[in-house]
Amino acid sequence: MTTMAAGSLASSSPIIEARQVGKVYYTRTSETWAIGDITTSFRKGEFVSIVGPSGCGKSTFLHMIAGFTKPTRGEIVLASVASGRGKLGYIFQKDTVLPWYTVRRNVGLGPAFNGKPRSEINARVDALLEMANLTAFADAYPHQLSGGMRRRVALLMGLANDPEVLLLDEPFSALDTHTKTHLHRELLEIWRKLGQTVILVTHDLDEAVTLSDRVIVLGSRPSRILLDERIEIPHPRDVFTVRQTDLFSRHFNRIWTLLGQEFRASE
Amino acid sequence: MAMTPDSAAAPDSHAHYITRERRGRRRAAMFVALSQFGLLVLVLGAWEGLTRVPWFAKNTVFDPFFISRPSMIAGQIVTWMTPGAKSIWPHLGETLVATFMGLFAGVSSGFVAGLVLAQNKYLARVLNPFIVMVNSMPRIAFVPLITMIFGLGIASKVVTSWFVVFFILFFNTYKGSLSVERELLEFCSTLGGTPRQILWRVRIPFAAAWTFAALPNAVSFALVGVVLAEFVGSNTGMGYIMILALSALDATAMFAAITLLSIVGLVLVYAVRMVERPLLHWSVEFRDDA
Repeated sequence: MTTMAAGSLASSSPIIEARQVGKVYYTRTSETWAIGDITTSFRKGEFVSIVGPSGCGKSTFLHMIAGFTKPTRGEIVLASVASGRGKLGYIFQKDTVLPWYTVRRNVGLGPAFNGKPRSEINARVDALLEMANLTAFADAYPHQLSGGMRRRVALLMGLANDPEVLLLDEPFSALDTHTKTHLHRELLEIWRKLGQTVILVTHDLDEAVTLSDRVIVLGSRPSRILLDERIEIPHPRDVFTVRQTDLFSRHFNRIWTLLGQEFRASE
Repeated sequence: MAMTPDSAAAPDSHAHYITRERRGRRRAAMFVALSQFGLLVLVLGAWEGLTRVPWFAKNTVFDPFFISRPSMIAGQIVTWMTPGAKSIWPHLGETLVATFMGLFAGVSSGFVAGLVLAQNKYLARVLNPFIVMVNSMPRIAFVPLITMIFGLGIASKVVTSWFVVFFILFFNTYKGSLSVERELLEFCSTLGGTPRQILWRVRIPFAAAWTFAALPNAVSFALVGVVLAEFVGSNTGMGYIMILALSALDATAMFAAITLLSIVGLVLVYAVRMVERPLLHWSVEFRDDA
């Protein structure tokens, strides 16, 4: 590796800022503040994970960044590089691969939406498939792939536009540990190569500490930030061995203890 | 593509196990086919034989006046098939043409209407109670009215057939396009897709799977619609032939007409299956069904 870790290249200008964001969930008869008050910012090239008890609104927070829904209170500001068509990549937990297209057409969908010429799309798709070791499956249909491969295709679909920001909404939670760890390694490699800002929502604390520069811990609703932990483990990280390091356990235990207190408090 | 170990890699000594299992499966399939054939022969044989026994013909349901008998029905079909004054072809042709026209009109208009309503939430909310109301009406009850409006010619047959098919297609397409997951639509919009691009590349292919699933049903209902219109008022077509047979108390002709219509229906449903197979090869649900 000749380049420096993308994490340390992260510049100080925020690419996304959340200012006193609150969000209400409505039912027929009542309303609940799911997100109480979140203020934070994400710097360009940073890899940040958001963890917290289920129902704390971490996915909703990601939806608001993507613009699927608006905050009830406060605002989320995107830098100009991150706004506009195809600048945000969003990967869902649910399968978003189109079954009637081949792997190649699926991965090329974003650039095709944006009117890129066919030759450019093909070159881009070839490079991405190569990077994810999927070249042999370029002309396969999704039903012919394994779960892990489909996930990789969904990830490549999100990357094909070369987005500035990658929003990952529990993308690995339906996978077995083995497949998950392999995808972690691939994700880190991609991130180090392309240097996007990544925001990962997960309920898997292992995953969060393994991958991120920063872990944001949300409390139960109405949620606020309990802890904003900088993960000091240097890049490049080996996803297979990083768990055994002291630094990893120290970060993990600090966050785990806090989550435990929060859990007991909410009982 | 499949990651299963190559069977050639298995030691030769195991080959006879595979041969044995294959032979067993083939034998089971053969046994089922033989049983089916036997059952058919039994039913037709009883029908043919018992209607020839005077006691049964007099005292039971096996009265050839009412239920005819296979040999007479076959004879009737042969007579109809031979060209001449008694040929069935003009009538069968008329029924088929009306079926195809009604099917085409019903499928295309139902598909478009379903898509439009799925795209337009406001329109869907406004029209919803009316659609439910029209759908819950017995559509067969409209046939005399349709005949009154469109006359005794082919028009009333096509309209009846369209009327039945439209709703089947409309509801399937509508539900199909609505069942596209929100996540998939949001995902495509983050990729930069405009509503029009998402319509063509996501909504329509998704809805088409549901539309195709409804097609075999639509085909048989299109045929039923046409025959029904012919019952009510027409001087051509298979339905007219059956009404003629009723006035002549000719059970043989009725059974012959029913047989021909069943064959036509079967052929049409199979034809639709053959058309949709290559178009829906990507659909796991469809592959399981086939």
